[in-house]
Amino acid sequence: MAGVTSRILTVEDDERIRTAMKLALEDEGYTVIEAASGETALEAFAHKGADVVLIDVMLPGIDGFEVCRSIRRRSDVPIVMVTARADTHDVVAGLEAGADDYVTKPFVAKELAARIRALLRRARADQTPSVMTFDGLELSPESGVVKRDGSEVHLTKTEFRLLCELAANAGKVLSREQLLDRVWGYDYFGDGRLVDVHVRRLRSKVEDDPSDPRLVVTVRGLGYKLQS
Amino acid sequence: MSAEAARTWRRRPRARRPRRLGLRARVTAAFALGALSLSAVLSVLTYGLVRSFLVEQREQGAVTQTFLNARVVRDGLASRSPQPDPDRILSSLETPSGTGAVVRYRGVWYANSVAVGSESLPQRLRVLVDEGTPGRQRFTLSGEPWLAVGVPIPHVHGVYFEAVSLDGVDGILDVLGFSLAGAAMLTTVAGAAMGRWAAARVLSPLTSVSEAAAGIASGNLGIRLEAPEDPDLRLLASSFNRMVDALKERIERDARFASDVSHELRSPLTTLSTALEVLVARRDELPQRSRAALDLLAADVGRFQRMVEDLLEISRVDAGVAELHLEPVDLVELVRHAVSAAGAGVVVINDGHRVPAQVDKRRMERVIANLVHNALAYGGGVARVAVEQSRGVVRVVIDDEGAGVPPEERERIFERFYRGSVSGQRGHSDGSGLGLALVAEHVGLHGGRVWVESAEPRGARFIVELPGER
Repeated sequence: MAGVTSRILTVEDDERIRTAMKLALEDEGYTVIEAASGETALEAFAHKGADVVLIDVMLPGIDGFEVCRSIRRRSDVPIVMVTARADTHDVVAGLEAGADDYVTKPFVAKELAARIRALLRRARADQTPSVMTFDGLELSPESGVVKRDGSEVHLTKTEFRLLCELAANAGKVLSREQLLDRVWGYDYFGDGRLVDVHVRRLRSKVEDDPSDPRLVVTVRGLGYKLQS
Repeated sequence: MSAEAARTWRRRPRARRPRRLGLRARVTAAFALGALSLSAVLSVLTYGLVRSFLVEQREQGAVTQTFLNARVVRDGLASRSPQPDPDRILSSLETPSGTGAVVRYRGVWYANSVAVGSESLPQRLRVLVDEGTPGRQRFTLSGEPWLAVGVPIPHVHGVYFEAVSLDGVDGILDVLGFSLAGAAMLTTVAGAAMGRWAAARVLSPLTSVSEAAAGIASGNLGIRLEAPEDPDLRLLASSFNRMVDALKERIERDARFASDVSHELRSPLTTLSTALEVLVARRDELPQRSRAALDLLAADVGRFQRMVEDLLEISRVDAGVAELHLEPVDLVELVRHAVSAAGAGVVVINDGHRVPAQVDKRRMERVIANLVHNALAYGGGVARVAVEQSRGVVRVVIDDEGAGVPPEERERIFERFYRGSVSGQRGHSDGSGLGLALVAEHVGLHGGRVWVESAEPRGARFIVELPGER
């Protein structure tokens, strides 16, 4: 990665885990800012900022979801939730609070680094036209701007990349596996809920009636497509 | 029962085991027996009462009639003019049919019917009346019951007898007897039917209790009995429900414990594995002994991690909180990805068609991964993987290159922590002991089954069978 090393804000109350994470992530080339609680995390983010935020779900005081929501309100920085288990409601709750991805404890630092790299990737701008329009929605992959009926819509990086991927294949159905691969860099066994919740979030921002989607439609048993 | 009594009881040879009737049969029999005895007693009483009443009535009537007729005869015989004619007097008497009148006047017997004569009359009565006492006596004439009433007529030194047939009474009594017997039988049958119905009514709450218990035993801890309106049954229902509540709480607590323990272990494990990663990245900087120690550490921390994961997974299945998230997939594609992710470079064989199936992707990945690891660790490598479908089922077949699984172990290898003869030979084990047990659980959650056979020419063949798309 050229230029400034990315800064990760880690929010974890267990001291030893926090230290181990710092060591491992610094090995991967990141600068680590530590926070032991939700409150200190929000303070650190407000004053120092970060390029990626890693939040443990189990925090004393303000819980991880609240921290995620707070940060999301002010920024579209990539957020990764650190959950205990994959098959609980934690994952969906975290995603709906605004997270871009999640890892389960205990995680492999190298894999976490790979996830973060995928999130920091810019959307592919090479094969798409500079501005795409769909029924009131204006999308510019290069500049990263999305407008609905003239007013700008704020999407997270991941939501934006999802939209770009669907737009680049407008009218075609993309399966969950394909979206997981192209947007998150996951293989066949990636978690489909990542796609489902992000589609829900996308709809709430770009659809006139999110409960009756006209743009981002579900194709039962196959996946999603952007109505051209 | 005291110990001694128990011993005695056991020592006594049981010639034959008495057949125990069910509760329903016993209640029905009791009702029938009760109805029978009651109706029998009533019938007998009624019969007796009616019989004695009828007989009494008949007798009374006969006696009254005899006395009246005796007076007429006496008046007839006592008159001076004209000369008394006993025959004429007798025939003038009003005697209903079935009655015979007999008179002795001046030593001569006169009768007004063919059926009854002086010789028909019972001896004891004749002697009694001769001595001057009126009386009556039952006797048999031509096999039929008769009643004889005798009245002395001292005025004219005569005796007057009347004999009345009791046959008619008996005829009525026969009809009565048959009707009562018939009624008793009907009552018994009705009693039996009522008994059956009553037994069914009483047993129906028990049926619902046993159904609830069966449902709970099969794992559905949410079943409770509804509060019945019957106050007697309310106690049964409430104590049953309390028992199930306690059971459910106990099971959940146990399941939570296993789950909580595994959960708590994740935190120190995270530190261990993350710090280990940092060390492993600097392995080359370490002296040789440290490197050897580090390798051991890395291997067993990895094993520890897998164990905790597997334990957590299986404890969730035990607690019944395992949820299946089914998705439509092409099983061939899934197996291909799983096999390569598990590190086996084998080509998945299939006849070229898609094999659609509804599966939980994550669990199926675990199933394939565990089977592949099993083949790599204990089977000398994966020989062949195939995906087939036929007749409503889909199958994944994994053959290894080892010595196969002995027939007596083929069921046991799917047990938790089972170390078979093959795996036990290894000096170390990377597995948690739960790999195949988890395969069985995951496949079971899908409604399928897994088993092992012999492969040709050698090795073990593991077959996972799942219900196919309809």
